[in-house]
Amino acid sequence: YAMATNNPSVFLVMINGQIEGANFPEYDDLYCKYCFVYGNDWAPTSGLEEGISQIACRGQGTQPALVWNFPLEITFKSTNPFGWPQIAVSVYGPDTFGNDVVRGYGAVHVPLTPGKHVRTVPMFVPESTSRLQKFTSWLMGRRPEFTDPKVVAQGEGREVTRVRSQGTVTISFNIVTKDMKKLGYDATPSEALSAAEARTPSLAHPL
Amino acid sequence: MAELHIIGQIVGASGFPRSSLFCKWGVHTGGAWHLLSGLREGQTQVDCPQASDTAFWSHPIDLHYATKGLQGWPKLHLQVWHQDSFGRCELFGYGYCHVPSSPGHHRLRCVTWRPLGSWQEQLAQMFVGGGPQLRSPDVIYTGADRYRLHTVAMGTVELELGIILRHFDKHGVES
Repeated sequence: YAMATNNPSVFLVMINGQIEGANFPEYDDLYCKYCFVYGNDWAPTSGLEEGISQIACRGQGTQPALVWNFPLEITFKSTNPFGWPQIAVSVYGPDTFGNDVVRGYGAVHVPLTPGKHVRTVPMFVPESTSRLQKFTSWLMGRRPEFTDPKVVAQGEGREVTRVRSQGTVTISFNIVTKDMKKLGYDATPSEALSAAEARTPSLAHPL
Repeated sequence: MAELHIIGQIVGASGFPRSSLFCKWGVHTGGAWHLLSGLREGQTQVDCPQASDTAFWSHPIDLHYATKGLQGWPKLHLQVWHQDSFGRCELFGYGYCHVPSSPGHHRLRCVTWRPLGSWQEQLAQMFVGGGPQLRSPDVIYTGADRYRLHTVAMGTVELELGIILRHFDKHGVES
Protein backbone atom coordinates (compact mmCIF):
# COMPACT_ATOMS: atom_id res chain seq x y z
CA TYR A 1 0.00 0.00 0.00
CA ALA A 2 1.08 3.61 -0.36
CA MET A 3 2.13 4.48 3.17
CA ALA A 4 1.49 8.19 2.84
CA THR A 5 -2.14 9.19 2.29
CA ASN A 6 -3.29 12.73 3.00
CA ASN A 7 -7.08 12.33 2.81
CA PRO A 8 -7.97 8.70 3.36
CA SER A 9 -11.52 7.49 2.84
CA VAL A 10 -10.98 4.02 4.26
CA PHE A 11 -9.10 2.68 7.24
CA LEU A 12 -7.28 -0.65 7.34
CA VAL A 13 -7.13 -3.31 10.03
CA MET A 14 -4.32 -5.85 9.68
CA ILE A 15 -4.68 -9.04 11.69
CA ASN A 16 -1.82 -11.45 12.37
CA GLY A 17 -2.42 -14.23 14.79
CA GLN A 18 -2.97 -17.88 15.41
CA ILE A 19 -5.51 -20.29 16.77
CA GLU A 20 -3.17 -21.62 19.43
CA GLY A 21 -5.16 -24.59 20.64
CA ALA A 22 -8.12 -25.78 22.62
CA ASN A 23 -9.16 -27.15 25.97
CA PHE A 24 -11.83 -29.84 25.70
CA PRO A 25 -11.49 -32.10 28.73
CA GLU A 26 -13.61 -34.90 27.27
CA TYR A 27 -12.55 -35.02 23.64
CA ASP A 28 -9.41 -35.66 21.60
CA ASP A 29 -8.36 -35.83 17.91
CA LEU A 30 -9.95 -32.49 17.13
CA TYR A 31 -9.69 -30.14 14.14
CA CYS A 32 -11.12 -26.68 13.75
CA LYS A 33 -12.55 -24.55 10.95
CA TYR A 34 -12.55 -20.77 11.09
CA CYS A 35 -14.13 -18.04 9.00
CA PHE A 36 -14.32 -14.28 9.38
CA VAL A 37 -17.79 -12.69 9.62
CA TYR A 38 -18.07 -8.96 8.94
CA GLY A 39 -20.58 -6.22 8.03
CA ASN A 40 -21.42 -4.71 4.66
CA ASP A 41 -18.95 -1.85 5.02
CA TRP A 42 -15.99 -4.20 5.35
CA ALA A 43 -14.00 -6.03 2.70
CA PRO A 44 -10.91 -8.24 2.95
CA THR A 45 -8.02 -6.91 0.89
CA SER A 46 -5.51 -9.71 1.41
CA GLY A 47 -5.12 -12.94 3.31
CA LEU A 48 -7.40 -15.91 3.85
CA GLU A 49 -10.98 -15.56 5.05
CA GLU A 50 -11.38 -19.15 6.10
CA GLY A 51 -9.43 -22.30 6.75
CA ILE A 52 -9.33 -25.82 8.21
CA SER A 53 -6.64 -26.90 10.65
CA GLN A 54 -4.84 -30.20 11.10
CA ILE A 55 -6.21 -32.93 13.41
CA ALA A 56 -4.53 -32.61 16.80
CA CYS A 57 -4.09 -34.95 19.73
CA ARG A 58 -3.50 -33.96 23.33
CA GLY A 59 0.10 -34.12 24.46
CA GLN A 60 1.51 -36.18 27.29
CA GLY A 61 2.33 -34.73 30.66
CA THR A 62 0.52 -33.30 33.63
CA GLN A 63 -1.23 -30.49 31.69
CA PRO A 64 -2.03 -32.06 28.33
CA ALA A 65 -2.76 -29.32 25.83
CA LEU A 66 -4.35 -29.66 22.43
CA VAL A 67 -2.25 -27.53 20.07
CA TRP A 68 -3.03 -26.35 16.53
CA ASN A 69 -0.68 -23.36 16.16
CA PHE A 70 -2.83 -22.46 13.13
CA PRO A 71 -1.87 -19.15 11.45
CA LEU A 72 -4.33 -16.31 10.82
CA GLU A 73 -3.35 -13.56 8.39
CA ILE A 74 -5.85 -11.15 6.91
CA THR A 75 -6.24 -7.44 6.22
CA PHE A 76 -9.59 -5.64 6.02
CA LYS A 77 -10.51 -2.21 4.71
CA SER A 78 -13.61 -0.39 5.89
CA THR A 79 -15.42 2.94 6.05
CA ASN A 80 -17.28 2.24 9.30
CA PRO A 81 -16.49 0.37 12.54
CA PHE A 82 -20.03 -1.06 12.51
CA GLY A 83 -19.83 -4.71 11.48
CA TRP A 84 -16.32 -5.07 12.96
CA PRO A 85 -15.02 -8.53 11.95
CA GLN A 86 -15.57 -11.52 14.16
CA ILE A 87 -13.82 -14.85 13.86
CA ALA A 88 -16.26 -17.78 14.00
CA VAL A 89 -14.63 -21.07 14.99
CA SER A 90 -16.10 -24.58 14.86
CA VAL A 91 -14.38 -27.61 16.34
CA TYR A 92 -15.00 -31.17 15.13
CA GLY A 93 -13.89 -34.58 16.31
CA PRO A 94 -14.73 -38.29 16.07
CA ASP A 95 -17.43 -39.93 18.21
CA THR A 96 -17.34 -43.51 19.51
CA PHE A 97 -18.36 -44.88 16.11
CA GLY A 98 -15.81 -42.85 14.15
CA ASN A 99 -18.17 -40.26 12.65
CA ASP A 100 -17.19 -36.60 12.47
CA VAL A 101 -19.32 -34.65 14.91
CA VAL A 102 -19.28 -31.03 16.02
CA ARG A 103 -17.72 -30.46 19.43
CA GLY A 104 -18.22 -26.71 19.68
CA TYR A 105 -19.05 -23.42 18.01
CA GLY A 106 -17.82 -20.06 19.17
CA ALA A 107 -17.11 -16.53 17.97
CA VAL A 108 -15.28 -13.45 19.19
CA HIS A 109 -14.71 -9.96 17.81
CA VAL A 110 -11.26 -9.24 16.45
CA PRO A 111 -9.70 -6.82 19.01
CA LEU A 112 -10.32 -3.13 18.34
CA THR A 113 -6.96 -1.70 19.40
CA PRO A 114 -3.46 -2.14 17.99
CA GLY A 115 -1.22 -4.49 19.90
CA LYS A 116 -1.07 -8.03 21.16
CA HIS A 117 -4.23 -9.65 22.53
CA VAL A 118 -5.16 -13.15 23.67
CA ARG A 119 -8.75 -14.31 23.67
CA THR A 120 -10.19 -17.47 25.25
CA VAL A 121 -13.40 -18.29 23.39
CA PRO A 122 -15.99 -20.56 25.04
CA MET A 123 -17.34 -23.27 22.72
CA PHE A 124 -20.93 -24.58 22.82
CA VAL A 125 -23.00 -27.20 21.01
CA PRO A 126 -26.73 -27.05 20.27
CA GLU A 127 -28.72 -29.28 22.63
CA SER A 128 -31.08 -31.96 21.36
CA THR A 129 -34.72 -31.09 21.96
CA SER A 130 -35.66 -34.42 23.54
CA ARG A 131 -34.02 -37.44 25.10
CA LEU A 132 -35.18 -39.63 22.22
CA GLN A 133 -33.51 -37.33 19.73
CA LYS A 134 -30.37 -37.32 21.86
CA PHE A 135 -30.25 -41.12 21.81
CA THR A 136 -30.95 -41.43 18.07
CA SER A 137 -28.35 -38.86 17.21
CA TRP A 138 -25.77 -40.67 19.38
CA LEU A 139 -26.62 -43.91 17.56
CA MET A 140 -26.64 -42.42 14.05
CA GLY A 141 -23.66 -40.10 14.54
CA ARG A 142 -25.65 -37.07 13.37
CA ARG A 143 -25.64 -34.46 16.12
CA PRO A 144 -27.63 -31.22 15.99
CA GLU A 145 -25.56 -28.81 13.91
CA PHE A 146 -25.95 -25.27 12.68
CA THR A 147 -26.57 -25.21 8.93
CA ASP A 148 -24.32 -22.16 8.59
CA PRO A 149 -21.41 -21.72 11.04
CA LYS A 150 -21.72 -17.92 10.62
CA VAL A 151 -24.93 -18.03 12.69
CA VAL A 152 -22.79 -18.15 15.80
CA ALA A 153 -21.55 -14.62 15.11
CA GLN A 154 -25.06 -13.14 14.99
CA GLY A 155 -27.22 -11.97 17.85
CA GLU A 156 -30.68 -12.39 16.30
CA GLY A 157 -32.60 -15.63 16.48
CA ARG A 158 -30.78 -16.97 19.52
CA GLU A 159 -33.82 -16.79 21.78
CA VAL A 160 -35.00 -20.27 20.90
CA THR A 161 -31.71 -22.15 20.95
CA ARG A 162 -30.60 -24.30 23.87
CA VAL A 163 -26.89 -24.97 24.02
CA ARG A 164 -24.30 -26.66 26.18
CA SER A 165 -20.90 -25.04 26.65
CA GLN A 166 -18.14 -27.62 26.89
CA GLY A 167 -14.66 -26.28 26.12
CA THR A 168 -12.60 -23.26 25.08
CA VAL A 169 -10.37 -22.25 22.18
CA THR A 170 -7.43 -19.86 22.67
CA ILE A 171 -6.65 -17.36 19.90
CA SER A 172 -3.88 -14.76 19.96
CA PHE A 173 -3.99 -11.63 17.80
CA ASN A 174 -1.54 -8.92 16.75
CA ILE A 175 -3.47 -5.94 15.39
CA VAL A 176 -2.23 -2.99 13.33
CA THR A 177 -4.61 -0.25 12.20
CA LYS A 178 -4.02 2.44 9.59
CA ASP A 179 -5.77 5.80 9.25
CA MET A 180 -8.35 5.25 11.97
CA LYS A 181 -7.15 8.42 13.73
CA LYS A 182 -7.14 10.40 10.46
CA LEU A 183 -10.81 9.55 9.98
CA GLY A 184 -11.56 10.76 13.50
CA TYR A 185 -11.90 7.41 15.26
CA ASP A 186 -10.43 7.11 18.73
CA ALA A 187 -10.03 3.55 19.93
CA THR A 188 -6.91 3.91 22.07
CA PRO A 189 -7.29 3.80 25.84
CA SER A 190 -6.27 7.09 27.50
CA GLU A 191 -3.40 5.66 29.63
CA ALA A 192 -1.68 4.35 26.50
CA LEU A 193 -2.14 7.73 24.80
CA SER A 194 -0.66 9.79 27.64
CA ALA A 195 2.26 7.36 28.02
CA ALA A 196 3.06 7.68 24.31
CA GLU A 197 2.89 11.47 24.45
CA ALA A 198 5.23 11.53 27.45
CA ARG A 199 7.78 9.46 25.52
CA THR A 200 7.79 11.63 22.37
CA PRO A 201 6.97 15.22 23.35
CA SER A 202 8.61 16.73 20.25
CA LEU A 203 6.21 15.21 17.70
CA ALA A 204 4.05 17.84 16.06
CA HIS A 205 0.41 16.76 15.66
CA PRO A 206 -1.07 18.13 12.42
CA LEU A 207 -4.80 18.53 13.02
CA MET B 1 -22.31 15.26 15.71
CA ALA B 2 -20.18 12.82 17.66
CA GLU B 3 -20.38 9.07 17.22
CA LEU B 4 -19.99 6.12 19.56
CA HIS B 5 -19.37 2.49 18.63
CA ILE B 6 -20.01 -0.27 21.15
CA ILE B 7 -18.48 -3.54 19.88
CA GLY B 8 -18.26 -6.56 22.15
CA GLN B 9 -20.18 -9.38 23.74
CA ILE B 10 -22.12 -10.53 26.78
CA VAL B 11 -19.70 -13.26 27.80
CA GLY B 12 -21.69 -15.17 30.42
CA ALA B 13 -22.85 -15.34 34.01
CA SER B 14 -21.64 -16.98 37.21
CA GLY B 15 -22.64 -17.18 40.85
CA PHE B 16 -26.29 -18.05 40.25
CA PRO B 17 -27.92 -20.90 42.17
CA ARG B 18 -28.56 -22.90 39.01
CA SER B 19 -27.24 -23.05 35.46
CA SER B 20 -29.43 -23.26 32.31
CA LEU B 21 -29.59 -19.47 32.14
CA PHE B 22 -30.39 -16.91 29.47
CA CYS B 23 -30.25 -13.14 29.48
CA LYS B 24 -32.57 -10.48 28.08
CA TRP B 25 -30.61 -7.28 27.48
CA GLY B 26 -31.25 -3.80 26.20
CA VAL B 27 -29.48 -0.44 25.89
CA HIS B 28 -31.20 2.73 27.10
CA THR B 29 -30.07 6.22 26.07
CA GLY B 30 -31.18 9.81 26.58
CA GLY B 31 -33.01 11.97 24.04
CA ALA B 32 -29.88 13.37 22.37
CA TRP B 33 -28.73 9.91 21.19
CA HIS B 34 -29.78 8.33 17.92
CA LEU B 35 -29.16 4.70 17.01
CA LEU B 36 -27.68 4.50 13.50
CA SER B 37 -27.08 0.75 13.20
CA GLY B 38 -27.33 -2.37 15.31
CA LEU B 39 -29.91 -3.99 17.54
CA ARG B 40 -30.51 -2.18 20.81
CA GLU B 41 -31.98 -5.18 22.59
CA GLY B 42 -31.96 -8.93 22.39
CA GLN B 43 -32.08 -12.24 24.16
CA THR B 44 -29.26 -14.74 24.43
CA GLN B 45 -29.45 -18.49 23.96
CA VAL B 46 -30.02 -20.77 26.94
CA ASP B 47 -26.74 -22.29 28.08
CA CYS B 48 -26.42 -25.41 30.23
CA PRO B 49 -22.70 -25.74 30.94
CA GLN B 50 -21.18 -29.20 30.81
CA ALA B 51 -18.30 -28.83 33.23
CA SER B 52 -18.12 -25.36 34.76
CA ASP B 53 -20.58 -23.37 36.85
CA THR B 54 -20.33 -20.36 34.51
CA ALA B 55 -22.98 -20.14 31.80
CA PHE B 56 -21.42 -18.84 28.55
CA TRP B 57 -23.46 -16.91 26.00
CA SER B 58 -20.87 -15.03 23.86
CA HIS B 59 -23.72 -12.85 22.61
CA PRO B 60 -22.35 -10.24 20.14
CA ILE B 61 -23.19 -6.56 20.57
CA ASP B 62 -22.48 -4.06 17.77
CA LEU B 63 -24.10 -0.64 18.13
CA HIS B 64 -23.45 2.64 16.33
CA TYR B 65 -24.85 5.79 17.99
CA ALA B 66 -24.74 9.44 16.95
CA THR B 67 -25.24 12.11 19.58
CA LYS B 68 -25.69 15.84 20.00
CA GLY B 69 -24.98 15.87 23.74
CA LEU B 70 -23.31 14.03 26.59
CA GLN B 71 -26.41 13.56 28.75
CA GLY B 72 -28.15 10.23 28.72
CA TRP B 73 -24.95 8.23 28.09
CA PRO B 74 -25.99 4.66 27.12
CA LYS B 75 -26.80 2.21 29.89
CA LEU B 76 -26.92 -1.54 29.34
CA HIS B 77 -29.61 -3.30 31.40
CA LEU B 78 -29.98 -7.06 31.86
CA GLN B 79 -32.44 -9.63 33.14
CA VAL B 80 -31.04 -13.08 33.87
CA TRP B 81 -33.60 -15.88 33.66
CA HIS B 82 -33.44 -19.57 34.42
CA GLN B 83 -35.15 -22.09 32.14
CA ASP B 84 -35.81 -25.49 33.65
CA SER B 85 -36.16 -28.82 31.84
CA PHE B 86 -39.92 -28.30 31.46
CA GLY B 87 -39.41 -25.00 29.66
CA ARG B 88 -40.66 -22.78 32.50
CA CYS B 89 -38.80 -19.49 32.96
CA GLU B 90 -37.96 -18.00 36.34
CA LEU B 91 -36.39 -14.61 36.99
CA PHE B 92 -32.94 -14.85 38.55
CA GLY B 93 -31.71 -11.27 38.56
CA TYR B 94 -31.84 -7.72 37.31
CA GLY B 95 -28.75 -5.61 36.72
CA TYR B 96 -27.44 -2.65 34.76
CA CYS B 97 -24.14 -0.98 34.01
CA HIS B 98 -23.16 2.19 32.15
CA VAL B 99 -21.45 1.66 28.83
CA PRO B 100 -17.81 2.77 29.39
CA SER B 101 -17.06 6.31 28.28
CA SER B 102 -13.36 5.88 27.47
CA PRO B 103 -12.08 4.23 24.28
CA GLY B 104 -10.52 0.78 24.27
CA HIS B 105 -11.31 -2.65 25.62
CA HIS B 106 -13.17 -3.04 28.90
CA ARG B 107 -13.97 -6.13 30.91
CA LEU B 108 -17.06 -5.46 33.04
CA ARG B 109 -18.69 -7.42 35.82
CA CYS B 110 -22.32 -6.44 36.28
CA VAL B 111 -23.84 -7.33 39.66
CA THR B 112 -27.45 -8.48 39.79
CA TRP B 113 -30.25 -8.53 42.35
CA ARG B 114 -33.66 -10.09 42.73
CA PRO B 115 -36.74 -8.65 44.45
CA LEU B 116 -37.49 -10.34 47.76
CA GLY B 117 -41.11 -10.97 48.65
CA SER B 118 -42.74 -11.49 52.03
CA TRP B 119 -41.75 -14.57 54.04
CA GLN B 120 -44.80 -16.44 52.73
CA GLU B 121 -43.77 -15.67 49.17
CA GLN B 122 -40.22 -16.81 49.89
CA LEU B 123 -41.47 -20.08 51.32
CA ALA B 124 -43.68 -20.68 48.30
CA GLN B 125 -40.78 -19.81 46.03
CA MET B 126 -38.63 -22.49 47.66
CA PHE B 127 -41.13 -25.17 46.69
CA VAL B 128 -42.82 -23.95 43.54
CA GLY B 129 -40.46 -21.39 42.05
CA GLY B 130 -41.56 -18.10 40.55
CA GLY B 131 -41.35 -15.09 42.79
CA PRO B 132 -41.98 -11.34 42.50
CA GLN B 133 -40.92 -9.48 39.36
CA LEU B 134 -40.78 -5.80 38.54
CA ARG B 135 -43.87 -4.45 36.84
CA SER B 136 -41.91 -2.00 34.75
CA PRO B 137 -38.28 -2.67 33.81
CA ASP B 138 -37.19 1.00 34.06
CA VAL B 139 -36.50 0.55 37.75
CA ILE B 140 -33.52 -1.59 36.71
CA TYR B 141 -31.61 1.42 35.41
CA THR B 142 -33.18 4.40 37.22
CA GLY B 143 -32.92 5.23 40.87
CA ALA B 144 -36.27 6.98 41.10
CA ASP B 145 -38.69 4.61 42.80
CA ARG B 146 -36.41 2.17 44.54
CA TYR B 147 -37.03 3.03 48.18
CA ARG B 148 -39.95 0.63 48.41
CA LEU B 149 -37.99 -2.35 47.09
CA HIS B 150 -36.44 -5.08 49.22
CA THR B 151 -33.91 -7.11 47.24
CA VAL B 152 -31.39 -9.94 47.58
CA ALA B 153 -28.07 -10.22 45.74
CA MET B 154 -27.65 -12.77 42.96
CA GLY B 155 -24.72 -13.64 40.66
CA THR B 156 -22.67 -11.51 38.25
CA VAL B 157 -22.77 -11.13 34.48
CA GLU B 158 -19.50 -10.70 32.63
CA LEU B 159 -19.25 -8.42 29.59
CA GLU B 160 -16.44 -7.49 27.23
CA LEU B 161 -17.08 -4.14 25.54
CA GLY B 162 -14.86 -2.29 23.10
CA ILE B 163 -15.52 1.43 22.72
CA ILE B 164 -14.63 3.61 19.71
CA LEU B 165 -15.35 7.34 19.86
CA ARG B 166 -15.45 9.68 16.87
CA HIS B 167 -15.23 13.47 16.83
CA PHE B 168 -15.61 13.76 20.60
CA ASP B 169 -12.28 15.60 20.79
CA LYS B 170 -13.41 18.05 18.09
CA HIS B 171 -16.16 19.17 20.43
CA GLY B 172 -13.70 19.55 23.30
CA VAL B 173 -14.73 16.42 25.17
CA GLU B 174 -11.96 14.69 27.11
CA SER B 175 -12.43 10.95 27.76
